Amino acid sequence: MLKPATRAVAALVACFLGPAAAGQLTYSWPSNVGPLNPHLYAPNQMFAQASVYEPLVKVRGDGTVEPWLAESWSLSEDGRTYDFALRPGVTFSDGAPFDAAAVKANFDAILANRPRHAWLDLARQIEGTEILGPLAFRLVLKAPHDPTLLELALPRPFRFLSPRAMGADGTTAAGIKAPVGTGPWRLVDTQPGVSDTFARNPLYWGTKPAFEQLVVKVIPDPNTRVVALQTGQIDLVYGAAGQIPSEAFLRLRDMAPAFAAAVSPPLATRVLAMNSARFPTDERAVRRAINHAVDKDTLVRTVLDGLEPRADFLFAPSVPYADLGLRPYGFDRAAAARLLDAAGWLPGRDGVRMKDGRRLAVEVDFVGTNAQQRAIAEVLQADLARVGIEVRLIGEEESSILARQKDGRFGLIFGETWGPPYDPASFVSSMRAPSHADYQAQAGLPEKPSLDATIAAALAATDGTERRRLYAELLTTLHEAAIYLPISHAVAIEVHRPSITGVGFGPTINEIPFVAMRPAAR
Amino acid sequence: MLRFAAVRLALIPPMLLGVSILVFVMLRLGQGDPALDYLRLSQIPPTDAALADARVLLGLDRPLVVQYLDWLRRALQGDFGLSYVTRRPVLPELLGFLPATLELAGTALAITLAVSLPLGAWAAGHRGRWQDRLVRGIAVLGVSLPNFWIAFLLVALFSVTLGWLPPMGRGTGRGTLTHLIMPALAICLMSLSVNARLLRASMLEVGGARHVVYARLRGLSEGAVRRRHVFRNALVPVVTATGMHVGELLGGALVVETIFAWPGVGRYAVSAIYNRDYPVIQCFTLVMTAVFVLCNLAVDIAYAWLDPRLRLGGEEAA
Repeated sequence: MLKPATRAVAALVACFLGPAAAGQLTYSWPSNVGPLNPHLYAPNQMFAQASVYEPLVKVRGDGTVEPWLAESWSLSEDGRTYDFALRPGVTFSDGAPFDAAAVKANFDAILANRPRHAWLDLARQIEGTEILGPLAFRLVLKAPHDPTLLELALPRPFRFLSPRAMGADGTTAAGIKAPVGTGPWRLVDTQPGVSDTFARNPLYWGTKPAFEQLVVKVIPDPNTRVVALQTGQIDLVYGAAGQIPSEAFLRLRDMAPAFAAAVSPPLATRVLAMNSARFPTDERAVRRAINHAVDKDTLVRTVLDGLEPRADFLFAPSVPYADLGLRPYGFDRAAAARLLDAAGWLPGRDGVRMKDGRRLAVEVDFVGTNAQQRAIAEVLQADLARVGIEVRLIGEEESSILARQKDGRFGLIFGETWGPPYDPASFVSSMRAPSHADYQAQAGLPEKPSLDATIAAALAATDGTERRRLYAELLTTLHEAAIYLPISHAVAIEVHRPSITGVGFGPTINEIPFVAMRPAAR
Repeated sequence: MLRFAAVRLALIPPMLLGVSILVFVMLRLGQGDPALDYLRLSQIPPTDAALADARVLLGLDRPLVVQYLDWLRRALQGDFGLSYVTRRPVLPELLGFLPATLELAGTALAITLAVSLPLGAWAAGHRGRWQDRLVRGIAVLGVSLPNFWIAFLLVALFSVTLGWLPPMGRGTGRGTLTHLIMPALAICLMSLSVNARLLRASMLEVGGARHVVYARLRGLSEGAVRRRHVFRNALVPVVTATGMHVGELLGGALVVETIFAWPGVGRYAVSAIYNRDYPVIQCFTLVMTAVFVLCNLAVDIAYAWLDPRLRLGGEEAA
C-alpha cells in the first residue's frame, strides 16, 4: 500500500504522463479491435462492433426487447413474418441514409455467407427479406422462431454497415471498404499492437457520447492493465472478471476514493456438465450426490475471492423463464452419503466407494492453463473425496478440452452459460447440437429425445403461457436429473478513475455503455 | 574475408528451408487443432459443420505435403499467407512489428556492452578486492533473476511508487527513452552479467600471457598494456558470447513485451503460439532465424577482424 504523500506524487506525475486530455476516455483491450466487419467474427472484437454498429432492436436487462433502429414491428399470425418500421432520420456516419434498402443489402450480405453463421438458429431460419417501403422491411422465416428478436439484437452478425462501404458486389464475407455504421462511435485510427481510436459520430441519431474520443489501448497482460489504471494510462477497466486478477480488483476497490469499483449482477452461470452417458455419472444417484457434496460457499469465498455469488441452478432466477421455485441441492454430505449408500455404493478399504468391483471414480476435465478451473477442480477433488468419490484431474490445453466436450470424452467438464441475451433461448437451443458439452452430457438420459422436442417446441411457441410451461418442464427435468453442477454466477467487473463518472453495467457483457460515461466535474 | 562472408551467406537459404520444414512438421505434430482455436476466438460453437468450414477456410483440409509445398511456393514469392486470427497477410504484419522489437533488443544490447565491458575490466583490475566481489555478486544476481520478475519490480518501483517512468507502451519523440529504458533493462541484465564475468575471466587469463609480460618488460605503461594488449585480446570470447546474447535478448523481448504492452513481434508471436496461428509462427520462426544468423555472421566478421590469425589463416588457405 502506498503512503499518501507518495500517492499524491504518483497522481501528479500520472496527470503529467497520462492521456487525461479533456474529452478523451481511455480504455484497454487485450488485442486490437480488428477491421470491424460487422458480419464477421475473429479478429473483430464484439464490444467494438457493438459500439460502431447498431441492431434493429436491443435487449434490456430484464430480457425484454426495446426498439432501436426499428421503431416498431409486428409479427404475423403464423409467427413467420416480421414487419419492421425503421427509425426515420438515421444516417450512416458516411452520410448514407439508413433505410429498408440498406437493411436488405446487409441481410443479403449476411445470408450470402450463411454457412459462417450456421451456429445461430436465426441465420438458418430466414427464408427471405423484402423491402415494403422506404422505411418498411419484412423478414420471413421458414418456421416460427421465438428468440428471433433476441438474436437480431446480438453484436453480430445482424447489424448494419453502410452499403457504400461493402465489398465488391455488395458482399462483406471477403472484407469491407471501411467500418461505417450508424452507431455512436466511428473507428478513426488503428495502430497495430498499440491502440485503436474512436471518435464521436457527429451524425449519431441518439444521445451522443459525452467524450469526443475513445482510445482503446492494447494491453494483453492483466497485471499490466492494473498498473496502467493505477498510473493513469487508462481511465477504465471493464469486462469479464479475467480483465484483471481478482485480488487486484479487491485491492483497487479498497483504495477508494482513488478508484471506484463495482461488480455487475449475475451474467452467466459457471457449471460443470456431468456425462450421463459415461460411468459412473450415468447414475442419477451419483450426480445428485456430487451436487450435495460440494461446499460451494467455501469454494466461492476462497477460489473466487467472494466476487461471484453461489449458483444453485443452471440459470439464475433472474433469467427469463428460469424463476421456477425449485429446491436446490444444498451442501449436505450426509445426504450425499445416503444417496450413494442406497444406490449400493459402499465405502471400500481406502475410503473410495465400490460397487460390483468397480471404484466410484470420476474424471474432471479442465483447461490446464486456466488457474481458476484448476483451483475449482482441486476443491472438487477434496470435497468429493470426503463422501467417497475419487476424482481424477485431467488438465489439457484449451482446444483439446473443446474437442473432448464435442466428442463426449469427459466425466465432469467446465462450461458456462452464454449470458444475456443468449440465455435461455439460444443456450437451450444449442443443447440439441451434438458438438456441445450439454448435448453429450445429456445424451445418456432416457428422456433426451423428449427434452430436445421440448426445446424445439419452446423455441417455436408463439403463445407466452405455453412457452413458459415448456421452459419449466425442460429446466425442471434437467434439475431433477442433476445433469449440471452449478458453481457460481459469472459477473462483470469495472474499476474507473475518479476522473470519469456514469459508469454502469449494460444488459450484456459485450456492449460497454461508453455513451453514458462522462468526465467528472472538477 | 569476402569469401568467408559469401560462403556463410550462401548457407543461409538451405538452413532456412530446413528450419521451415522442421517448424511446419513440429507444429502439426501437436495434439491441438487450429480450426478449433479459430472457432474459440470467434466465439462460434464448434459444431462439426463449423469445424469443417473453418478447416476449409484455413486450408487445413488438404494433405500435409500439399499444404507445405503450397506454403513454400508462396513463401518464395514473399507471400507467407494470411494469419488465422487477423486474416491479414502475415509478412507485412510481422515486419510492421519487427522494428519495435529490434529497437528494444538493440537498446538492450547497447546497454549490455556499455555496462558489462567497463564493469568486467574494473573487476579484473581489482581482482580479489571488494570491487571484484561486488561485480561478481551483481553478476550472480543478474543471471539468476528471471527477466519478467525484474520487469514487474521495475514497474512497481519506477511507475507505481515513484511515478517516474511510464509503465507500458512505446513512446515517440522525447518519450522514446522513458518508455524504452525499463523493458530494455529487464531483458539485458542476464547478458550483461554473463558478459561482465566473461570479460573479467578472460582479462585475467590474458593478463598472465607471455606477450603481456613482454609488453610490461618493454616498459610500456600499465594503462597501455591493459588497453592494447590485455583488453583487446580478452574481447575475443566476449564477442563470441555477444552473438549468443542477440538470441537471448530477442527471446527476452518475447516475454517482456507482453508485460510492457510493447508493440513488438514477440507479443505477436506469443499470441500466435497460444492461438495456434500456424502461418504466423512459421513466418516468425523464419524471420527470427534469419535475424539471428545475420547477427552471428556480423559477430564472426568482427571476430575475424579482432583476431588476425583467423583472418590471415583464412586468406592463406584461399
